Amino acid sequence: MIKKFIHQFASPKTYMFQVNRAYPYIFYFSVIIYSLSVFWGLFLTPEDFVQGNSYRIIYLHVPASFISQSLYLAMAIASAVYLIWKVKLSVYLVRSIAPIGAITTFIALISGSIWGIPTWGTWWVWDARIVSTLILFIMYLGLISLHDSFNNFEKADKFLSILVIVGSVNIPIIKMSVEWWSTLHQPASITLSEKPAIDLVMLYPLFGSIIGFAGIVTCLVILSSKFQIFRREKNKSWVNDYV
Amino acid sequence: MIMFNFAFNSFSEAILMESQNGQSHGIYVWSVLLIVFLCIFMTFFFYKNKIKKITKKFK
Repeated sequence: MIKKFIHQFASPKTYMFQVNRAYPYIFYFSVIIYSLSVFWGLFLTPEDFVQGNSYRIIYLHVPASFISQSLYLAMAIASAVYLIWKVKLSVYLVRSIAPIGAITTFIALISGSIWGIPTWGTWWVWDARIVSTLILFIMYLGLISLHDSFNNFEKADKFLSILVIVGSVNIPIIKMSVEWWSTLHQPASITLSEKPAIDLVMLYPLFGSIIGFAGIVTCLVILSSKFQIFRREKNKSWVNDYV
Repeated sequence: MIMFNFAFNSFSEAILMESQNGQSHGIYVWSVLLIVFLCIFMTFFFYKNKIKKITKKFK
């Protein structure tokens, strides 16, 4: 029954029609939320007592960092769905998310490095959090290269899904790195179990920027997945009707 | 608790973002903002272009 349900609602054709309808709403909503939240964070929040005004990078760095890890988790779930139920759309999504994940991880690394200059006095340290994030970035690039190196799509999809699941071990390492090792990177300011270590005046725009950035990234994944579906389903009759 | 209060008194103050320790942090904040917006914009442009090219082939 689950298999029937997934196959019915996760066909590339249904997906394309559904996301096309949702795309403009997600796009305008997330652009407005992200712009307002970043403006709020950059101009309307007070200066941080310890870090001064450099802390404002948090409104750009944290959303990118959070989303880069979330995208990998989404890839791991989609890979499992592909390996268990053989849903083609899920592996198209895995391949579509990988480049967007690489870009968000790149933003997280670059913004973190620039933030490190005024805060730590250096742009790079071989710190557990930073190195595990760098590994995530390399993994994203490696997954894209691996998939593109095969001529046979079926083989490529299978290897990609397995490798994504194996690589997901890095996500809890990134998350817990600041707890397990003594690092220069500060521990998480927001956790599910404890009261946030950040003042509410600074926290609200941070939530807004995370939601807005997530929406923008969703739009990028939709575009990337549309391209993948066109590429993979080019011989299907519905694609010509759709175009 | 004041939720909305301009942190800077002038445009130049907002650009320089001088902190209480005397350091100007504007260069760091603005360069990160520029990188983030460039990355997002370029990715949108890249995929819109790719979709345009591939759909042209179908027509």
